[in-house]
Amino acid sequence: MEIENKILTTDGVSLEESLKKAEKKNKIKAFLLVAPLLLFLLITYIFPIGEMFTRSIDDKMITNMLPKTFKAMEKWDGQELPPEEVFASFLSDYKILVKNKTQGKLGQRLNKEKNGFNSILKKLKRKMKKFDEGNYKDQIISVHKRFADVEYWRAMKRTAPPYTATKYLKAVDLYSDENGKIAQVEESRRIYKKLWIRTLEVALFVTIFTFLMGYPIAHLLATIPMKYSNLLMICVLLPFWTSLLVRTASWMILLQQQGVVNDFFVMIGLVADNNRPEMMYNKVGTYVAMSQILLPFMVLPLYSVMKTISPSLMRAGKSLGGTPFVSFWKIYFPLTISGIGAGSLLVFILAVGYYITPELVGGASGKLISNQIAYHMKQTLDWSFASAMGLMLLCGVLSIYWIYNKLVGIDNIKLG
Amino acid sequence: MKKLSKLLLAISFVVSITSSAFAVVAVSWGGAYTASQKLGYGDPTAAKLGIPIDWVDYSGGLSEITAQKEAGAITWDIIDVYAMDTINGCDEGLFVEFDFDKDFGPAPDGTPASEDFFAPMPSACAVGNILYSWNYAYNHDTIGSKQPKTIKDFFDTKKFPGKRGIYGSALTNLELAMQADGVNVGKGNGLVYRKLLADGGIDRAINRMKELCEDPNGGCVFWSAGAKPPELLVSGEVVMATGWNGRFFNAEMDGAPLTQVWDGQGLDYQYMVVVKGGPNEADAMKAIREMMSTEGLAGSAKHIAYAPFRKSSLEVIAAGEPWYKDGKTNMLPQMPSAKGNTKKYFLVDPLFWADNSTEINEKWEAMKAGLK
Repeated sequence: MEIENKILTTDGVSLEESLKKAEKKNKIKAFLLVAPLLLFLLITYIFPIGEMFTRSIDDKMITNMLPKTFKAMEKWDGQELPPEEVFASFLSDYKILVKNKTQGKLGQRLNKEKNGFNSILKKLKRKMKKFDEGNYKDQIISVHKRFADVEYWRAMKRTAPPYTATKYLKAVDLYSDENGKIAQVEESRRIYKKLWIRTLEVALFVTIFTFLMGYPIAHLLATIPMKYSNLLMICVLLPFWTSLLVRTASWMILLQQQGVVNDFFVMIGLVADNNRPEMMYNKVGTYVAMSQILLPFMVLPLYSVMKTISPSLMRAGKSLGGTPFVSFWKIYFPLTISGIGAGSLLVFILAVGYYITPELVGGASGKLISNQIAYHMKQTLDWSFASAMGLMLLCGVLSIYWIYNKLVGIDNIKLG
Repeated sequence: MKKLSKLLLAISFVVSITSSAFAVVAVSWGGAYTASQKLGYGDPTAAKLGIPIDWVDYSGGLSEITAQKEAGAITWDIIDVYAMDTINGCDEGLFVEFDFDKDFGPAPDGTPASEDFFAPMPSACAVGNILYSWNYAYNHDTIGSKQPKTIKDFFDTKKFPGKRGIYGSALTNLELAMQADGVNVGKGNGLVYRKLLADGGIDRAINRMKELCEDPNGGCVFWSAGAKPPELLVSGEVVMATGWNGRFFNAEMDGAPLTQVWDGQGLDYQYMVVVKGGPNEADAMKAIREMMSTEGLAGSAKHIAYAPFRKSSLEVIAAGEPWYKDGKTNMLPQMPSAKGNTKKYFLVDPLFWADNSTEINEKWEAMKAGLK
C-alpha cells in the first residue's frame, strides 16, 4: 500500500529521496560558502575564548613542580607546621627544579600566593648545598625564620590543585581559606566589587546621556530637508571618523583645570581663578568623553529607524485630535523603540568594556574594570586573573543581551 | 608605472629587511631618556660595529617580552628595565645570564668591569646603566613667595596648597610617604624598609598617601610616562610633582621654570638586559658590551643628568667638564649622586619590591580605586 502512495521520478527513485539528495548537495555548497567565515570565527574567537578559560583556571605548573610535596601534604591538616616528611619531600622536589633551572618560576608563582616566598627560596638554594642528611625541617627553618611561619606552608598547600576557581573568587573580593571556606578579603584589599559596580554605573549613565542627546539629533536628521540633513550627518560622522585618541586628548585640553573651558569660565567671572572646578582626571571626565565618543553609536541606529517612519503618521495623529505630545508619545515613540534598543545595547556593551578613554581621562576615581584587566595583563603579569575577569565581563554582556531578548525581543532590534 | 611600483616594492623590501632583520632592537622608556641613550652610545656603537640599532619605546614591565616569548616571536634584543624586573625576568628565564668580566670590557686603566661598576648587580642577568633619582620639582614661577625645601613640604598642603603629581604605581611612593610620616632615611640607611616591613608599615605608608590625595587642599594626579611630570608642572595642573631628575633637568635646559628638590630623594639604579633567544642575540651581546663601556656610558651623560654606572665614566666626565651637549653646563653637580644632592636619601631596595610587590600593589590599587 505504502509503496504505491509514493510519487516516483522518471528514473524510478522516490521524489522524496531525490529531493533530499539535491538538498544535501545544496547544503554542502552552502556550508562550503560559510566555511571560511566559520573557520575564521573559530580561530579568532571561539578558540581564544576557550584558551582564556583554561588559562583562568589552570594551575598545573606548580602541581607538576612539587609532586612529592603535595603528596606528603595530603595528610597534613594545615594547623601546625607540617611534619618532617613534607620538608624532606619539598627539599627533594626543589633540588630537581634547581637542577633543571626552573626554580625561578616556582619562586615567582609562590611569591604571588604569599609575599616574601621568592627571596627565602633563593636563600634556600644558596644554603642547601651544605645541608647534612636528615632532620631537614630544622635545617630549612634555620635558613630563614619565615620557613617556620605556617602561613607559608598553607599558601603552598593552596596551590596544590591543578585547577582552581580562586581567580574568579578574587575578582569579587573573595578567597577560600585553608579550610576551603569562602571569605571576604581584608578591607584594605577590596577593590573589584567596587569597580564592577562603577563600571555598570558608568555604562548605564553613558547610555542614558547618549540617549538624551542622540534622540533629538536623530529626529532632526530624519525630518529636516535632505540638503541640511546631509550637512548635519557629516557633523555627526566627522568625530566618528576621527581617531579615538585625538578625541580623548582634545577633551583633556578642553577640560583640564588650566584648560580652555576653565580659562573661559574664569574670564567671564563664573568661577574664581584659584577655585577652578575639576572636570578632568575623574569620573566627570570619563562621563563627558565617553558620552561624546559613543554618541554616533546611538544616533545612527535611531536615525535609520526614524527615517522609515512616514511623516503622515504624525499628521494623521494630529488630525485625529491628538496634541503634539500625545501623538509623539502614542505614535512616534513606540515606532522608534527598536532603534532605541539597538542604540542602547550598542552603547552599553561598548561602554562596559571601554578601556583607553577612562585610562587617559579617568584619573583614579574614573577607572573601570577594564583598566584593572589591562593592569594585570601589563603590570602584575597575572594573566590568569586577567582572563578570569575578561570572561566575567563577557558573561555579563551576554546576560545583558539575554535579558534584553527576554524583555524586548532581539528580532526587534533594527540597525537600519 | 608598473616599473615604478616594482621598484618601490623592492625598495620597501630592502628597507624592511635592513631595519628589522639585522638591526638590534633596543627598548627603553622614550622621550629625553631614550634620546640620551641613542645619541650617547647607541649611534656611536652602531657606527663602530656596523650593527644598526633600532630604539623602541615602552612603559616598563615584563608583559610585552613575556607575551613575545609565549607567542614564540621575540622581536626585542635589549631592554632597559627596573632592578626588580631584572630579578623577576631572570627567575623566569627571559634574559641572558652574563659572565660579567668576560661580557663587559674593563676600565681604561684595566680595572675589571665588576669592580668598575658602582654596585653589585641585583641579578646575574643585569648590567648597570645609570644611577637616577626619584625626586620632586616645583614651578618657581607660580609657587609663590615660600619655596618648598624638604620632602615634608611635598606633603604639607597647608603651606603649599594644590595638587601633587605622583607616580601611578606604588614604587618609591611608600618610601616618600614614610618620610612624611617621620621616618628619617639618613644617608640610605635602609631604615625606611625596616619600618615598611614592620607590622602595619605598608598600610601606614599607603594611608599617608591616601590622606594627601583626599586632602581638599591637596589631591593627586597620577603619572606613568616620564615626560608627564614636567608637563604637569608647566601647565600648572599640579604645584609639585615627583619625577625622574633627568627629565626635570632636560625640561629646565629647554627653558621650563622648574626647580628640583633633592631632600629625601630615592636613588635608584637602572639596568639593561639582553633577551634570551632574541632575534639577534649575538649582535646584541656585542652591542651591549660597547654601549656599557666607559666612553659609552659617559656619552649618554652628555644628554641627560643621570650618573653613569661606571666609576671610570665619571672620571671621564670630570676631566671633560663642561660636559653637557651645550658646552657650558657642568654635569657633575646635576647628577643625583653629587655631594650637594645626597644630604638625605634612600637607596631603592629592589629585593623589597621584588618580594612584596603583590601585596603592596593590591593595597595600592585598592587605595587608588577608593579615592573620592
